[in-house]
Amino acid sequence: MSYSPPQPQEFIARVAAEPCCAAITADERIEAALASRAPVLFILRGNGLTLGHLVRRIHAANKLVAVHVDLVGGLRADRASINWLAGAGVDAVISSHGQLMAAIRHDGMTAIHRLLLGRRSQLDTAIAAIGRSAPNIIEILPGVILPSVIGLMPRFEVPVLAGGFVRTEAEVQAVLAAGALGVTTSSQALWGTDAA
Amino acid sequence: MPPDIEAPKLPAILIASDGRHIVNAPPGLDAGVLVRDTDLAALVHRVNSDCPPQAVDIDTVAGLGSDDLAVEFVTGRLGIRIVLTRRPQLAAHAAARGHLGLVHVFAYDSTGMARSLESHPRTERVGSVLSPGLVILHLRLDELASVPRPRIAYGLIDELDEAEACMELADAIVVRPTLAARLAARLVTA
Repeated sequence: MSYSPPQPQEFIARVAAEPCCAAITADERIEAALASRAPVLFILRGNGLTLGHLVRRIHAANKLVAVHVDLVGGLRADRASINWLAGAGVDAVISSHGQLMAAIRHDGMTAIHRLLLGRRSQLDTAIAAIGRSAPNIIEILPGVILPSVIGLMPRFEVPVLAGGFVRTEAEVQAVLAAGALGVTTSSQALWGTDAA
Repeated sequence: MPPDIEAPKLPAILIASDGRHIVNAPPGLDAGVLVRDTDLAALVHRVNSDCPPQAVDIDTVAGLGSDDLAVEFVTGRLGIRIVLTRRPQLAAHAAARGHLGLVHVFAYDSTGMARSLESHPRTERVGSVLSPGLVILHLRLDELASVPRPRIAYGLIDELDEAEACMELADAIVVRPTLAARLAARLVTA
């Protein structure tokens, strides 16, 4: 029987219940992430062509998996790679390419549009792109500055994740207080354990 | 080795300008003008005005190429000796001609920043533009030390207190004209 990813609302609810998601930037972090309380593993590195086994392990640990199609190796960020990831059982796809959001949604996965905060003069263009792409979730980087720049942004109609340089519990709390649904972080200590 | 000419002085504050409007550094402030998000004609016009810029973000000048000839035009013909660019080889070319090249280091997350630094030339007179500049307040000391100097914090520095905190960590910051005026006013009252 083929796998069906959760609806975006369910994906969002999982993050809302446990807001620190594990950003995986090296293979050796996967075991710790699987043993943590992180509800979603965000795969930011590795081989996008051989994800099937990893995806099954993540699902077996009762977690969801999101893959950054722009960053993993072996894939081009296009319609065909989105279809490939859907076939691998991925639950959500992240990309800075707004034009891929419709394809991600079409394939039944949660669409996450990554917004890179660089300069104020670029913000309007980036925000307009998000308006056109209609993702299920926006991921803002660097998330650690979200509390300082939230006033520069419109009120988004979809939830916001914050990633990048979020490394302490205080920073997590500040980001959540600024309105984020959750954080993506490679700081293992923030993923939590059932013993915590 | 850069030719035997003095390196340009980097002001502590670079005031961002689109080159289409007159921007003057407030009196008393160690500041200069950075032109970005403009076009070639506006850049040349601004150079010939009574408030020429000290720095240019060369990748954001419409009509200007991304090659050595563009660097030579900007630094030689226009006399703008501080060149910001996302292309390491262009920054190195500016430095090799005795000017200051500044490479954009994109600091959206720690992994991406490390990757961005891998292509930094790390040669004399090639510094770094940390983008977004506001993130400098959240870097660990070892991360900050890994960014070749001079370090410019550029992007999303909008508040007075943030600007002053960034100035403690960076060799220069980029701000909008309104914030430069507020920094100058605070300097006067201090």
